[in-house]
Parts: sequence; structure tokens; C-alpha cells
Amino acid sequence: MNSPSRRDFLKFGAALPVGRHALSARAGQRPTKNPPKRVMFICNSLGFYGPSFFPAERGNLESSKYLKEVGSKDKMTVFQNFFHPGMETSNHDSEKSFLTGAARPESSSFVNTISVDQLLARHMGGDTRFPFLSFSIYDRGWGCSWNDRGVPVPPMHDESFIFEKLFGKEDLAAKRRQLKTDQQIIRSLHRDMERLQDHGDARKIDSYRTVVAELEAGFRREQFWLETKKPRVPNTLSEDQEFAFSTKIRNLLELARLAFQTDSTRVITLSLDWIYGAIRVPGATGGWHTLSHHGGKPDVLAKLSRVEIDIMKHLNQFLTALDGIAEGSGTLLDHTTVVIGSNFGDSSNHTCNNLPTIVAGGGFRHQTHTVLEKPTPLCNLWLELLHKHDIDVGEFGSSQMDLHLLQN
Amino acid sequence: MSAYRSCRTVRSASLAAYVFACLLLLSYRDVLSAEDFNESKQLFDQYCIDCHEGSHAQGNLDLTALLTKSKFDATLIFENIATGKMPPVDADSPTGGERRNMLSWLAQQQPEPQRNSFRRISRHEFVHSVNDLLSTKRDLSDQIPGDRGTCDFDSDRRIPLSREVLGSYFAVADRMLDSAFPPKGFANEQTWVTNKLKDSHETYNVYVRDHEEGVLFSWTRANNGNSYSFFYDNFDPAVAGWYDLTFEAAKVGDFREDISLQVHAGKYYYADDRPQPQRLLDVISLGNRELKTHTIRVFLNAGENVSVHCYSRHNWRQKSPKEGAYIRQLKVRGPVQDHWPPDRYEQLFGDLPIETSANPKPERRAERSKSRSPDHVSDYQSSLQRIGGRISVSSFQPGMEKENMLDGSNRTFWHTRFTPTLAKPPHYVIIENPRGVPIHGLSYATWSGGNGNGQVKAYSIFASDDGRQWGDAIASGELEVRLANQQPILFPRPTAHRFLKFLITDAKTLDGRSLASIGKLDVIVSTSREAARTKVAVGSDSPMALRETIKRFAERAFSTQLTEAELTPYTEVAQKSLQEHGDFVRATRVGVKAVICSPRFLMAPGEHSSPAHAQVASLARTLWLSVPDGELLKAAADSSSSGLTENRLRSQIHRMLADSQSDRMIKSFCDQWLNLRSWNKVSPSLKLYPKYDDLLHHYLPLETRAYLAYLIRENRPVEHLIDSNYTFLNQRLAQHYGIEGITGQQLRKISFDREVPRGGLLTMGSVLKVTTDGFETSPILRGAWVSKNIIGTPISPPPETVKAIEPEHGATAKTLREQIDQHKNNTTCYACHKSIDPYGFALENFDATGQWREKYRVEKPHRGTFQFRLEGYFRDGGKVDSSGEISDRHFADAFGLKKLLLSDHRRVGYNFARKFFEYANGYAPDLTQRLALLAIIDEQPHQCRMRDVVTNVLIYSLSEKVP
Repeated sequence: MNSPSRRDFLKFGAALPVGRHALSARAGQRPTKNPPKRVMFICNSLGFYGPSFFPAERGNLESSKYLKEVGSKDKMTVFQNFFHPGMETSNHDSEKSFLTGAARPESSSFVNTISVDQLLARHMGGDTRFPFLSFSIYDRGWGCSWNDRGVPVPPMHDESFIFEKLFGKEDLAAKRRQLKTDQQIIRSLHRDMERLQDHGDARKIDSYRTVVAELEAGFRREQFWLETKKPRVPNTLSEDQEFAFSTKIRNLLELARLAFQTDSTRVITLSLDWIYGAIRVPGATGGWHTLSHHGGKPDVLAKLSRVEIDIMKHLNQFLTALDGIAEGSGTLLDHTTVVIGSNFGDSSNHTCNNLPTIVAGGGFRHQTHTVLEKPTPLCNLWLELLHKHDIDVGEFGSSQMDLHLLQN
Repeated sequence: MSAYRSCRTVRSASLAAYVFACLLLLSYRDVLSAEDFNESKQLFDQYCIDCHEGSHAQGNLDLTALLTKSKFDATLIFENIATGKMPPVDADSPTGGERRNMLSWLAQQQPEPQRNSFRRISRHEFVHSVNDLLSTKRDLSDQIPGDRGTCDFDSDRRIPLSREVLGSYFAVADRMLDSAFPPKGFANEQTWVTNKLKDSHETYNVYVRDHEEGVLFSWTRANNGNSYSFFYDNFDPAVAGWYDLTFEAAKVGDFREDISLQVHAGKYYYADDRPQPQRLLDVISLGNRELKTHTIRVFLNAGENVSVHCYSRHNWRQKSPKEGAYIRQLKVRGPVQDHWPPDRYEQLFGDLPIETSANPKPERRAERSKSRSPDHVSDYQSSLQRIGGRISVSSFQPGMEKENMLDGSNRTFWHTRFTPTLAKPPHYVIIENPRGVPIHGLSYATWSGGNGNGQVKAYSIFASDDGRQWGDAIASGELEVRLANQQPILFPRPTAHRFLKFLITDAKTLDGRSLASIGKLDVIVSTSREAARTKVAVGSDSPMALRETIKRFAERAFSTQLTEAELTPYTEVAQKSLQEHGDFVRATRVGVKAVICSPRFLMAPGEHSSPAHAQVASLARTLWLSVPDGELLKAAADSSSSGLTENRLRSQIHRMLADSQSDRMIKSFCDQWLNLRSWNKVSPSLKLYPKYDDLLHHYLPLETRAYLAYLIRENRPVEHLIDSNYTFLNQRLAQHYGIEGITGQQLRKISFDREVPRGGLLTMGSVLKVTTDGFETSPILRGAWVSKNIIGTPISPPPETVKAIEPEHGATAKTLREQIDQHKNNTTCYACHKSIDPYGFALENFDATGQWREKYRVEKPHRGTFQFRLEGYFRDGGKVDSSGEISDRHFADAFGLKKLLLSDHRRVGYNFARKFFEYANGYAPDLTQRLALLAIIDEQPHQCRMRDVVTNVLIYSLSEKVP
């Protein structure tokens, strides 16, 4: 099989780069007219200390210890009073439900549902080399992204690996040969599966078949994009090991910026989940998890806030960087909805009420600080974001309704 | 009303013992008769209903409501009755027979378990199986994303195959096939001999010195606490592979202990404040005072260097050391092949002719190594010298000649003339390239000393064919001053001109004079060097021979006998490749890849031609994380249609356990059961535990694995999981535990007196460390670990209203206990925490690295930047109180706790059997299966033995009762 034609794509039902942007992306240019929409979700898995995060004075971000330094204040809204229903136990696994809203993640029979980023990627991922990117600062095989069968999508965590994947040179001839052989192999496996369907454990074969079909679609996508050169960007990753934790966050955000800027993807998820062992940030060393159980003790809170300020510093730099890149009639931030949130409202008590939530960018008329009258399922916001990106679903997770909190 | 029952009577372990005894003495039946069934139900009325009825039922358990249901999850009730926790001692107790009936009745109330009949094989099983099938040894499991999530065991059937993991299997299969059948051929073996070290940061140069014909090392750690090691120079493996490293070395010093030569692989970095990701390859224990050769076989990636770190507590930071490790030279040989051509060709291709052909153009490097006598210590050769080049300079100061730029050291340097007269600019270096080799750039380094005077700030580079006409600059730029690292200058495109001029356009000057100096200047030639290779091919183009080859492989991989129709999809795809390319090995690779990426291989259980094949496949997967070997397949082929007899299974299991391949199971089970897989996640604080080092980090988990392997292979009593008077130690572990008189780093069984608090899993450094965050110990976390993994108490998550309490030591150490004692005052907490926290308190005498302590350590602040020091930064804090109470039995410390746990070996054995069952089958046993596991546990402590339990659990797992 030679390089697939559009017809092949339609025939095989694979994600197909169709829009204008795909064509310009294939020409190696960043689209400037009618820039595409992008979305990013960032989960700070151990939350933010509420009194330092939320503005003390309603509507005034200057009155928040963490947010007063943030630039682009007019391009963000801090939401208060979101929660996830169905979090009634110790909520150690609540991160699993951050983007899905599935109840009782600690139950032994828990099966997750699709996460909002993956649903968005299905609709927004067709035009770019990568339908989505999922990052994590820690290597544990799962983060915030879950597919439609509730299977975790393992996030990538190695910065140089990600850089290579996005921008590195490939041996195209070897890659073509390999893809061709793999497709032949899969075809022969399908023949065996037909036999096994009748003679073996049909459910077992089905579960494999579903996954191998997804892999095939991925191969076709890779094959399609082999014809387009990867964008070349300078490697701006930091190698500072003094503060390895901060470096990791900084680098992954930098990769996110580069990926958006080069239109390599339009959906990115980042899980900040370094929960084991000690970390070092400027001014404090300690177990992030241990510190998060501060129990209200001032000395522990002092250390914890150093960690959280460091995280916030990188997030702020990221938003500022996006806002500094002109695109169309605005900036990259205007075309990128960045959600910064957490599965924990109070990680010291392991509760999932009053979740710290920021929506930045996306070209919305931001309200700076919106305090919801009563506890509201976070899934209402997810539902609204789906609608804002033209995905017509009636509900998502524990959503009740689209509250139209974000105005264009 | 309190939510827990206060038991004032002395809780006797003998009751639990009695319970178990009764359960075992009466043979257990699967199904109760109708009469028994009603009788069982009445037993609950008789023994349980008094407390567990209505809205005020104890523990929120209303049995009257529950018992009327037809099906309900009775696991908690079952476990409490089975382990003798219920009914409480001050209540009437059922007889053994009655208890057995109650348990059987509960098992029948259990709803039909919802679980998959299959699972994906884990990444470790994949990699081990493919390695065994291809006779390779490459651990590529870290290239496959971990998919265990929050499940305890890799085998858990709830873990689905994901697209990313399947994609990685496809990709890793290629990489493994590349090492088995390298498309460009096998790199020829080379030998390098060196006694030269790469330049080190000047602050660390003092910890080594030239000694006799080699180098003498002391031991140091960088200021940030990193282990500082010294890199060897003058060899660089061009291809990944297995290499033999032979150190000719001796211990220098008048002390008893061995010196540990830690051998690492990594990329060389000049300064210690750079990241130094290195892998510990192996440790050589150096006790010999006469020179002796020590050879280790290690895997090196292309371009990786070898470094050494010479640890001994006697030579800490000795400047110009007088004691330490003397290494005369390092000989590197590789990539090695044990057989030529490699075994796998015969295994895979059988009788087909194997043809080897040398690469017609062997590289210069190989020629040189041929002429080199084995003991010759090679001299450094710069890249410029290798391409036959020369340099000349604008001027030089005597003693600081141009050759100093090419000697591989930046402690020697070239300097423009400054006395008796000052050389006038321009200052430059001319590089001659008479053979016209393409040059990609220059590698520059400042000299590592002085005040910076003369260091180059800016340069321009010109090219010429005759050394006279120079034209425009081909490159120019700026360089960092006072940066010790090499600074590469890459040209926009390679140049083959005969002359290059490096013109210094600006240089640092402290006194206004025009000076220039350079530590190292060399050319960068080809970035990828091709090693000489030998190709191995199979002399056949027969599609039938290919079919036979694929068949042999597939039958081993699938553990089955395949029909022709079943085989066809795998052979056709290979035959198609043979038809297209005419390359037999390449075609075989395609077929092999189809086999190892197929659902038959990746989904367990596979498809097997007989029950016996299914049995041996399952055993190989559990005990070896691999596929059956020839003997297992033969046993399967020879067995009857119903599978292997129990005796034959038993003897195969014993054989498999004795085989070193079962080390994989030991590691995997320790990782998952004891959570040692989190081993690398936490590094202990250097301020509190400055003596914790790489060596200790390396050996602590090995102790646990050696101990568990011994218990199983030597069939020791299950009691030894809790306590024994021996463990597996070496010099470093013994130092850590304060045990005297153990020399050398090989692990061995050491027995000790009763006052040594070691022996058993609970007081092992590995376990004690893995339950902390590297700073403080947490009695709650350690308690939960013991409770979950050793005792097997099911823990329900804490209620939402509970505030988590984390420890805070030092001055407030008492507060910790007081805080945790709040659990006692709060009945909601206490219901669970009374069976969690005490275990943790018993272990409070062990710090976050597992060392014994009487007092807590309180961190002291340091001034300015942290500087590592051996004495750390801490002072003594409050005294440790490790007493506690479990089920109204008091204990004073860890010794007391062990005694208490040992009073009921059955509980320990039953828990171990349950965990091993889950490890082997991928799900927690249901209640019927738990009854069978209870029956496996012998009532006599000395008859209840580890290998027996493992074997019986496996045999039971192969029965139809375990789907």
C-alpha cells in the first residue's frame, strides 16, 4: 500500500485531516487566519491551599496570595464552588475522576468513563499530527486521560522523548517499511482472529480486536503524516537538576506551548502528580504529599505554599508565553482554553468540594472571579466546554446542565 | 453506644489457633445439604444476632437484614469468622464444625463473581518470554508504559490491554528482533585497554592520584550529595551490547573490610553540577592486596562510558589518597557473543545452513585493535591525530605548547607568548587536514585553572585549500568563559578543506594585555562511527523451510501444537516477505513478530491443544514470567488428556522453583506484594541520613529477595516471614544493621543472636524504607502496610469526616502519639485504627532507612547552599516509644510484636497463600476458594512451610475450581 489517499481515510473511517488548517499545517506553516481552537487541562493532583488560592475579596485577584502575581488577569476566571459528586470515601483515587466525573473511584469494581479531553480529541484531533497529547510529571502509567472503555491513556513524562516525538528527525524510509510490515502482520492476525472467534474465548478475542483496530488507525495516521515534515524548533528545554520537580513542570509546559504553536495538536492534558518522596523547590524541601496533609499547621503550610507558588509561577509563565504569541487578530492564548484545576478541594482532609478552578484564555469575556451560589458539579463546566467546541452532547459525567458561565 | 466492642478479657491467641484447627480437622465440603444449610443460618442467630441486629447493630452490621437476602457480599464477615476475630472472646463461640458450616454458608451467599476469564500479559512477562524465545537478554520493559494503575498485582484481570501498550509491544518486538538478528550484522568484538581517566572537575581531581602503573582512588561525594564517580577514557562502544569489563585492581590500606568498586555506565559529564544519569552495573568487592583481575559482564548502550566509585568508610575524601582502590587498568572486550554464530540461529533455524560473512571493508579502528597486544595501555589519540592532521599556532609560551591542546587533558594548555615579549594579535590556531576528511566542527574547552586570563570569548573560522587564501569565515561565534565543559562548535555543513584557521577575535584579559589560551581543541569528525560487522544469513529460500521455522517458534511461544490451518496466517505473512525480498532471516522476523504480537501470545490464558499444555503455560507464566521450556512442553506432550497428574505437577513446580529463572517471580512478587516496586521513588534525606548511599540502595531489596527465595526454595516454615534468627547480608548491609565482622559484598546467610532486631520481613531495611517519605516515619502508613500485606486485614477507607494526621517529630514527638491517640478517643476512627496504628508504633525504633534508633532525629538548618557532610545536619530529638496494644495484648516493641504475630502462624500462612493466589491468578480468591486456601495451611507451625504453600496454591489454581 502506498501513502493513503483521502479516499482510503474515508474508507477506513480513520481520523482524517480535512480542514483548511490541516493543509497549512502540512505545508509546515502555522495558520494565522481563523486560528484553530485548542484546549488544555492541567490537574494539580494535590490541590491548592484554598485560603491562599481563592481571592479573599470577591472579584479581586490581587487579594489572592497565589494569583496576585499572575499576568493576563483579564483573560482568566477563577471559579469557586465546583465539586465532584460521588466522592464520599477517602478519595485517594479522586484524580482518576477529575476529567471524567465518574463516581466512587475507590470502589474495587470501579470502571472509569471517557475523560473530557479524550472526547474533545475525538472531534478536534483529526487535523493535526497528534490527536492529543497527554503529559504527566511522574511515571506511573496513568494520569487524567481515559478512553471510552475507561482504560487509562498512559501519559508521557520524559521531556526529551516527547521533544523527539514532536520535532525529532525520523528515518522515513525505515518507518515506511515498518508500517507496511506491521499492517501486513495485523492483516494476518485478523485471519487468525476469525478462526479464534469460533474456537476460542470470543470475549478475549474481541477485547484484543478492539485495541488492534485502534492501533491500525494510529498506523494509518502515522503513515499519512510521514508525508509532511515535522516542524523544526530549537530545543529550549531546561536541564536544571537542582530543582528537578520545577524543571519537569517547566519543560512539559514548554512542550505544550511548542506543540500548540506548531499546531502539532489541539488537545493537551497535563497531570501534576509527583506524590512520592521529597521534592525541592526554591525555599523548601519536603514530601509534597506529606506537606499537603498540613492539618492547618503554619510551619507546614509555609513549606507547602512554597511548592504551590512554584507551580503557580510556571503556570503563569505558560499563560504569559501563550499570550505573547500573536496569532490571527489576537494571541495564541485567545485561541487556547486553559483549565487549571484539581481533584481535591482540600487535600489535607481529602475532600473534593470547592475545587480550585481557573479557566484562562479561549477568547472568552472573562469575569475574573465567579463564585457559584451553591455547590455545582464540575461536570457542568466540562459539558459547557464540550458545547463551546461544537460537540453536541446532552450530558457529561455528573453534569446537570450547561450553565453558560463562559461568554464569547 | 460505642461502635466497637470493648474486650476486657485477655484476648488469647489460642482461640484463633483453635478456630483454624477445627476448620482443618473437619474436611471441607463444597456444597451444604439443605439440612446443613438451615442449620448454618441458625448458627448466625445463635452467635451473632445479639450484637448485630437492628439500627444500633455493632459495626453498622445488621445481620437480620442481611441474612434474608439471597445473595450478598460476605467477605468481611467471612474473614472475621475465619481468622477468629469474631465472635469476640467474651461471647459464646461456635465449635469448629459450626464455624466451618457458617463459612461454607457465607461462601454460598456470595454472588457470582464478575471477572474476566482472561487478561493481557504484563510488560515483564512479554519481555522475559521474548528474551527466552530468542535467547537474548535485553530488558526493554521500561519502553512499555506501566498499565497496573492502582491495582496491586501486574496480573490483575481488571487491567485491560490498551492501545498504547499494544503499540509498545509492536515497537519493542522490533527492537528485540534487532538485537537478536541485527539487520546490518553483528559488530565485531573489540578490545580496549586503558588506565586513563577523563578529566574531572578540579575540586575532585585531588581524590585520585597516579599510583604505580594506574590510579589510586579514594571515596567522595559531590557537594550536593550525588555519588561522585570517575569516568574511564579511551574507549567508547559504538554499538549496544554485552561487554566484559576486566579490572586489574587491588585494595590499598591496612583495614579489614573490602573496598567496593561500584561500576556505573553513563554518558560523561565534566562537572558534578551537571545531571549525571548513571546506571549501577555491578559491584566488585575488593579485598585482595595483590593485583587481581575481576571481570563483570555488563550491558552498555552505544556511546556509554564506564565510571567507578570506590566506596570504603576508611578512605573518605582522602586527598592524594594513601588508601583506597588501586586500579592498574581496565580492559573492555565486546560486544561479546558466547557462541558464534549465536545459539539462537540453531535453535530457530534447526539444520538450515548458517552463513557468516565479514564486512568487506573493516574499519581502521578494528585494524588497530588487532595489532594491539592485550596488556598494552593505549595512549590517548585525538580525533585530529586519528585523521592524520596537525596543528600550528601563531605563537606559544615555552611550557605551554600547542600539543597541550591535543593531549586529551584540559589541565595542560596552549598559551600565546607573553614573555620575554608579548605576542601581538592576531592569535590563531591552524588545523591541517591533509587527507581531506569531512570535518563537522571543532570541540573546544578552556583550561581548568588559572584566573581566566586569555580564555577565548569570540572566534571566527576560515577555510583554505593552500593555507594562504582564506576567504570568508565559515563560522564565527562566542564562547563561554570559565565553563569547564567542552563547547562544541558545529559548522553549518561539513568541510573537507585542507586548512582551517581558528582565529581568536576576542579573549578575556584581566590586565589589558592581548593574550589567548586554550585547554583543548580538536576536530569533530563523523558523529556516527560504523563498527566493523559480520553478517549472519541462512542459506535457504525454501518457503517450506520457512514454514517449519515459524512452526517451531510458534509452538514454543503459544505452548501448543498447531494445526496447519492455525499456522497458516503466521507463515503466509513470512512467506510473502521471503517472496518479496528473498531474505530468509528477514522473512522469519516477520513471522516471529506476528507470533509475539498476536492475541494467542499476548492474552492469557492462550489457546492450547491440551489441558496439559495450558497447565505448563500457566506455571511458566507464574513462576518464570515466561513460556514453558523444553522439559515442560515434553511433559505436556507425554501427559494424558486430563492433564498432568498431581505428582508430576508437584515435581515440575519444585524443579521450576529451584531453577534460577524463578528469581523473576521472586522479584516480581516482592515488588507487588511488599510494594518494593516503589523502591526508587523515595530518596532518604541527606540531612537526616547522610550515610544512605547507592550501595545500600542497591543491596537492601536484594536482601529481601534472597530471603524470600530461601524461604521458598528451602521450604522453611511460614513463621519465618515474621521472625527468624538469620537473614542475607553483606558487608554494607551488616554495617547498616550494626552487625560486626562481615567482610565482602557477596550476600550470604548470616545467623545472629536473639537481641538483634532483624530476621523476618517486618524489620528489613527495604520494607522499613518503602513505608516512609524519606524524612519521617509514619506509624499509620507502616501500620497500614503491615495490616494489609502481612496480617491481611481488609481496610475500609476512612470516612469523609476524618482529618488525616501526619507525623511531626522532634520536639513535638509526643504530640505525634497524642495526635494518633485521638484515634482512640474517636470511636469512628478507632474501629479500624486499633488494628492499624499499633503495628506501625512497634516499628518506630527503625528510622526511614531501617536503622535502629532510640531517639528521633531533628533536622538542623544549614547555612547557605547545602553542602554534603558525612555527619549530616540533625540533633537528637524525643525518645522513641514503640509500645502498643493489639486485641488487648500489650507489646513493648518490635520484638514483642513479632512474638504476638507468631502466636498464630496460620493467619500469616493464610494471608501469604491468599496473596500468592492473587499473584498467580490475577484476582482475589472468592470465599469458596478461600476455604480451600484455609485447608492448605497446616495447623502445626513447623509443618506449615513455604514451598508447600506455594506448590499447593499453584496446584489448586490449576484445578477447575479456579477458572
